[in-house]
Amino acid sequence: MSLQQTTTPVAPNPIKPKVKPTGFKLFIKKCKEQKVLLLMSLPFLIWLFIFRYVPLYGWTMAFQDFKPARPIFDQEWAGLEHFEFLFTNARFFEVLRNTLAMSLINLVLGFITAIGLAVLLNELRNLSFKRIVQTISYMPHFLSWVVAASIVSYALSMENGIINIVLMKLNLISEPILWLGVGEYFWGIIGGADVWKNVGWNSIIYLAAIAMIDTEQYEAAEIDGASRLQRIWYITLPGMKPVIVILLIMNLGYILESGFEAQYLLMNPMNMDFAENLDIFVLRYGISMGNFSLATAAGIFKTVVSFIFLFSANAIAKRLGEARLF
Amino acid sequence: MLKRVLVLFVSLLFLFVFAACSSDEDASSTNDGAEADDTTSEGTEIDTTPVTYTFFNAASPGKDIDTNTTRIGKILEEKTGVNFKLEHIVGDMNTKIGVMVASGDYPDVVIPDAAIDTMLDAGAFIPLNDLLEEHGPDLLEAYGDYLDQFTMDDGNIYYIPFGATVNEHIPNPNIDQGAFWIQRGILKEYGFPEIKTLDEYFDIIERYAEENPQIDGMNVIPFTGLTYDWRFFAFSNAPNHLAGYPNDGGVMIDMETHEASVYADSDYAKRYLKKLNELNEKGLLDRELFVANYDEYLAKLSSGRVLGFFDYGWQFGDARNALRDAGNPDREFMALPIVLDEDIKDQYLDPPAFTGNRGAGITVNAENPERIIQFWNELIKEENQKLVLWGFEGEHYSVDENGLFYRTQEQIELAENEDDREETGMKTFEWNWPRLNGTFSDGNAVEPRRQPEVALASYTDDDREYLEAYGVQTFAQLFSDPDERPWYPAWSANIEQGSDVQIFEQKSDEIVRRHYARIVLAEPGDFEKEWDDFVAEYRKLDVDAYEDFFTKVVQARVRGEW
Repeated sequence: MSLQQTTTPVAPNPIKPKVKPTGFKLFIKKCKEQKVLLLMSLPFLIWLFIFRYVPLYGWTMAFQDFKPARPIFDQEWAGLEHFEFLFTNARFFEVLRNTLAMSLINLVLGFITAIGLAVLLNELRNLSFKRIVQTISYMPHFLSWVVAASIVSYALSMENGIINIVLMKLNLISEPILWLGVGEYFWGIIGGADVWKNVGWNSIIYLAAIAMIDTEQYEAAEIDGASRLQRIWYITLPGMKPVIVILLIMNLGYILESGFEAQYLLMNPMNMDFAENLDIFVLRYGISMGNFSLATAAGIFKTVVSFIFLFSANAIAKRLGEARLF
Repeated sequence: MLKRVLVLFVSLLFLFVFAACSSDEDASSTNDGAEADDTTSEGTEIDTTPVTYTFFNAASPGKDIDTNTTRIGKILEEKTGVNFKLEHIVGDMNTKIGVMVASGDYPDVVIPDAAIDTMLDAGAFIPLNDLLEEHGPDLLEAYGDYLDQFTMDDGNIYYIPFGATVNEHIPNPNIDQGAFWIQRGILKEYGFPEIKTLDEYFDIIERYAEENPQIDGMNVIPFTGLTYDWRFFAFSNAPNHLAGYPNDGGVMIDMETHEASVYADSDYAKRYLKKLNELNEKGLLDRELFVANYDEYLAKLSSGRVLGFFDYGWQFGDARNALRDAGNPDREFMALPIVLDEDIKDQYLDPPAFTGNRGAGITVNAENPERIIQFWNELIKEENQKLVLWGFEGEHYSVDENGLFYRTQEQIELAENEDDREETGMKTFEWNWPRLNGTFSDGNAVEPRRQPEVALASYTDDDREYLEAYGVQTFAQLFSDPDERPWYPAWSANIEQGSDVQIFEQKSDEIVRRHYARIVLAEPGDFEKEWDDFVAEYRKLDVDAYEDFFTKVVQARVRGEW
């Protein structure tokens, strides 16, 4: 197509070298050069603007006592009342703690297990076995949490839950444990359930990253006498690093999204101190009480925290000279 | 080349914009159509040109059908020309109503259930007073005693509640409300003893559990309960009933002073929890009491190894049916009116009640709303109410020489058949439409299940054995008659969204849930400490304001101001 137009690195006049345009001029020049590309991205920019930026005006709800169906002039303004309710509520900090804890556990466990599974799958020589393992491992991803939570809750049951049976048979415990009845176990249960459900799915992207690594590197290493572990350590993992870093940055942006369904469905009076997270809190005090303003205030808070995490992770990656988001 | 690409993208862009616009146009054009229809249908008093209204029900999920596909709906359509396209809620009620209100895109009729204030605030419903005067004489008559209960402060009626009691109130012969349930084989084994107090109840369960540690090869579960999610009230309401009060919500209302007081941290609650704590120590309490979800709870009840529990009858219908189908009548449950002390009079049965703050309203979007009122007016007529509740004569019920309705065994089965109930429309119109309660003018019960002849006919021989042993005709006769409580139920008071009272309910619910579990499962030595912790935490909330709110509501209702 018009590739030549966009890539003209050679200065047109070699005799009288023009001063390289800077600032605004450069911007205009680049725009002219890349107008086709710009046009191509225009619809998506418009989409982004309409669906991602315009709705932000709804943030005004957080500063009102919002009543639906009234124009903005008829709303009562409440100032920072809803933020005050959030930050003065003792429960809120407990909820925040749970959210961060479960999120971090999910993040760390999710990363380690997905990378581990991808590396192990990559080492498998038997293709059909590899396929079977992969299919089985990503199957649970397609279950809805409603079903998955039932499975988890049955597996953990005292009467004939498989976890208790296995532990009993292995003589690791002397009597069945009421897993969902002890608050302290809850974060672990969620972490484990999340790994079981998502590990296969999450490993797909790492498998793709591994596939990008040049096989000649492995051959060369093999000739040099590198063992299998050494090949994993010195070739596979460094080869995946850019993908890992990018995903880590992106996931840090979601640090306050510890999930909702799993906690909501597995929560009970005995573990609620550890199970209730920000989303459930917002549901209880915001949406189910018709208090959209509070829900919005909490949403703004989440966005701000996400921003901080995203930018700091990106800055750290930049400083370390790693691949980064922007 | 470049030009072509440009053209392509510009046209794509236009496509996007047009797509967005055209969907709007669609919506408005259908509106035009509706209007055009309506202009033709003005004039005559009862116009029967066919018209279809949309009807959204946020109160309960169900099948989305057209009412005229049912037999009763067809009859009504012939008389009024009106058909309703039903849509039931999927997902969260507040969200759905909130979105509806925010967009102003209302169906013609809406049942907003608990979100009714949102609809009223938004001015979504039209006042019905004049329409009722003109087109709804039978509606006005049926609801006559209750009109002031759903007339708003501005003097307007915006919605029609369901179930106005006319003529005489008939108590339900079976227990579908709260009770302490016991596997009835236990009673038989020990010669049908009279059991009144909580101590007697747990003693007999304990004795049976010791003598029969296993049922069908599985360990018995001597006592359990329902604590899952919002159903937790089935656990926390028990002390209120033990103290001899009906379900007024989170408060007990004094019969003399009409003052409301919370019972969550009362002595009754403490005694009940103490009892459960002891049971737990003896290993008689279900270990998964606070962990099991609703399905697991039902599965447990259906297994036939639960000896006793507290719950509301309507919550475990599935388990009851499963036990009946299992064909071991002694494993079925029987409801007992258990109280804390010998001298307390049980009040498990609901006094006649009318829920005035729920109902169906006509929205501002409905064209010719009088057609809807005409339909409702037709529906509320006794002849049609008989169709809705009893079915078709000769098919679903018979009439004896005294004009008394009864059902034969086959008719009982047919009337319980879900497919048939759907086809006739009995299921559709049974609730969520203007409806009667009580008795018809000819003395028959509005609801067949409340007609003694029907209830008796549906008892099995095994049921009769128990009834005879206790010398009663229906299971409800074991319970005391409800005292008159003109404010009942207090929980139906309109609590403003986001008000302090509502926040109190949310917070106290959270505290009660957390602490009750701890108190019951505490080592007996720690019981007092856990209890004190709970009371201290609970009293940090503004309990007085909550009690004041209900005291005011109750006293206003006693004065006749709803």
